Amino acid sequence: MTITAMTIDAETVHPQGTPSARTEQAALDRAARLEALLGDPYDPANPHGLRALFAADDRRVPPAETEALLAEAGLGAEFVPVAHGGRLTRADLLARALRPVFRRDVALGFGYGITSLFAAGAVWAAGTARQRQDVADLLLGGGRATILHHELAHANAILRHEFSARATEGGYRLDGRKDVIINASRADLQVVYARTDTARGPRSHSVLLLDPAQVPPGRVRHLPRVELPGMRGALFCGLQFTDALVPADALVGSEGDGVGLALQVFQVNRSVICGVVTAAAGTVLHSAVRAATDGRTGPIAKRWQKPLAGVFADLLAGDAMATVVLRALSLLPAQAHLFAAAVKYLVPDLLREDLQELATVLGARGYDHAGPEFGALDKLVRDLPVAGLGHAGSASCQAVLVPQLRALAERSWFSEDEPPSELFRTGCELPDLDYRLLGIAGGGDFMAASLVGSAARLAASRGTRGTRGALADLAEAFVTELRALREQCRRLPASGAALVDPAVIVLSDRYSGVVGAAAVLGVWESQDGADPFLADPAWAVLALSRLAERLGVPVPDLPDGVQAQVLEELVRRYREGLGYDLDALAQAP
Amino acid sequence: MTTTVPTGAEHISVPFHVSGPSAPWHRVREAMDRYGNAVVTTTWGEWLGAVVAEPALRPLLGRDWQRYRRTADPTVRYRFVASRLATKYTAAAALHTEPAELDLAYKIGGRPYLRGLDQIDVSLTHTDDLIAVAISRDGRIGVDVEPADRRMSYELLSGHVLTPAEQADIEGLPEAERTAAMLRVWTLKEAYTKALGQGLQLGFTEFGFDVGGSGLLAPDGRPAARGEWAFATHRVLGRYLLSVARHDAGLGSSRDMAAHTMLDEGFMGAVTELLN
Repeated sequence: MTITAMTIDAETVHPQGTPSARTEQAALDRAARLEALLGDPYDPANPHGLRALFAADDRRVPPAETEALLAEAGLGAEFVPVAHGGRLTRADLLARALRPVFRRDVALGFGYGITSLFAAGAVWAAGTARQRQDVADLLLGGGRATILHHELAHANAILRHEFSARATEGGYRLDGRKDVIINASRADLQVVYARTDTARGPRSHSVLLLDPAQVPPGRVRHLPRVELPGMRGALFCGLQFTDALVPADALVGSEGDGVGLALQVFQVNRSVICGVVTAAAGTVLHSAVRAATDGRTGPIAKRWQKPLAGVFADLLAGDAMATVVLRALSLLPAQAHLFAAAVKYLVPDLLREDLQELATVLGARGYDHAGPEFGALDKLVRDLPVAGLGHAGSASCQAVLVPQLRALAERSWFSEDEPPSELFRTGCELPDLDYRLLGIAGGGDFMAASLVGSAARLAASRGTRGTRGALADLAEAFVTELRALREQCRRLPASGAALVDPAVIVLSDRYSGVVGAAAVLGVWESQDGADPFLADPAWAVLALSRLAERLGVPVPDLPDGVQAQVLEELVRRYREGLGYDLDALAQAP
Repeated sequence: MTTTVPTGAEHISVPFHVSGPSAPWHRVREAMDRYGNAVVTTTWGEWLGAVVAEPALRPLLGRDWQRYRRTADPTVRYRFVASRLATKYTAAAALHTEPAELDLAYKIGGRPYLRGLDQIDVSLTHTDDLIAVAISRDGRIGVDVEPADRRMSYELLSGHVLTPAEQADIEGLPEAERTAAMLRVWTLKEAYTKALGQGLQLGFTEFGFDVGGSGLLAPDGRPAARGEWAFATHRVLGRYLLSVARHDAGLGSSRDMAAHTMLDEGFMGAVTELLN
């Protein structure tokens, strides 16, 4: 551990007695302190470094020392709204404050803490004053919450099976079994999305708060730990309830609100996941740059230039999408659901491909699983599917997008106003996140409007040489794709069985790519010049050309120098120890 | 058809042959049920009738139509269209849908995928007149075929294709067996890099295989995976060597892969209710 890390303690990270800091700078300061507290990831002697974290993963145990450190640092306060004594103001700031943890270990991020937020979300959205305060007190006191998901279509092991609750005198009787629940054995609160109506449909489930200590013995059985190939240190186990009485005041919101609450809360969870896993991918990119530069004095070998620059551009694009949707949750809460689904559909897949591209650069070094220099690839390849939930995760986003496409084509695209510029401009203050305001359908499409606006402002540069011209051409290509989508989506039925035809489902993929591009353009346009690299169009051109290629949209050749410019910034950040996202923050040591 | 190298191969479907669009496609669903993956071989000549007679070739090919039209050489052209049709028919069987409903697209490294339907991964390959398609619901899959009698000079190529550990293994074999052993390793390496979607970007000497078995190894011979990868090599049609690499992401994916059941009814219902 470095001297710096030793001199900073939990008290310094979250000073007692100071008012909750609401600004972006305050969140970045908290992240910087956490970064210092966790210390140099590459120092083999650091108990919170990558070597120790990889070793814990290999032993399939949570990294106890680091969990204790985070507990001491009061990280749980990040998940509690300021109104209840915590530090949660905005989702974009939450993601930034958590990145130091996720940069080192995605499983630690989920297992230690963020699961508590995902579970508590239903309470922040619909809980009574009493429920909110109880959950806040629990998390502020270092307690944990976990979420007992209901079964979604095409459920994988994590989403499979669900609990049912029958109304009875004084409350509900809970039954059922679920095998894979993170922290089931150690959570102090279980947030259950239980089936309360046997009929299928949007009112089939309800949310119940369960205090495991209050369930009578014999009514709950703790099932053995389940070992997944990913997040090996996280504690997944099963629970079985048999006719367990749950008091009536455990109900969150009204009976039948479960599916709606899941849609409200998932959009925050989805967006936060995207905002933190990009930081984990940054660690793998760092190791790949190390592999490509170690022992070399000259420039990076030509064959590695394209994957390295390309992945860096993807990470910036992924951060742009995540940051915009996280800000939208505060600024445009009634409408953010659409973009939240699109971003979550796009980003994990983008990162999965990026890891494969980086695997080529790392080559044999990628099999050095235990070492801090190169072991991050292997771990993230295993952890990322668990974080993103694979196909079931994508399909749950598509289920939000598909039924809205026709109305968007008819009423929103090419006719709505652009969103306020505060959506994109970092440093701008935004309202606090209020889960109660989050919409789950309708409200138009501010990102499509933003794309059309960006392309219009760039139109004068279309067909000109240089990076600005290339950016203008790319923006127009995405607008053309949106126009084609409009023609196809207008012809869709409003609802019904025809919506689940594969040819319709495919449209949600193309739509996501188009609005993802809008975030890149919006973030580029919002640059004030303080960061000359981000203000130049090169990174956006490279990111958009890769997005376009994935969409099958014809891509013009990259102008000379675009790749070199992005690569140069990548190597600079590597040498100066800066992060690989839009913030480019200094990282420990 | 003979099967060699069983290590991990019990996780991979034995390849079976299909003869054009009217093949018994239920075998794809049976293989998916049993293994979570399916491996199909066919020859392009068996699709010629479909290519010539199919009135709906353009919608069937989708965005590949332009490439098909641009290709002048008739053999290349027919092989191209046959491989795309075989892929779509195979995937459609697993997804319980029609081939024309699917959009076969390509990732940046060239890996084919089904746009919007990530419940299965696909890989395709061809050599001479043979086409092979592999699909999996558990994670990435890659397939490669080579003529079993392909001439490969061990002396010329071994340094470019084999790790030091593989060279040591193969040099312990009788000279007459070396080329065949190297060819098998070659197809496994092709299959693995195709599963990663990276083609020849990943240097073949950066990873290796156990010459007697089929575990993934680091160049120095240490194990490089923890059982998430499975590999199999088969001899097909008597004259080709076919290798498959399959990754299991470990999520315990749903056995139901049907496209029409993938959108959650509760979520769809709640969204639709608010819109109407």
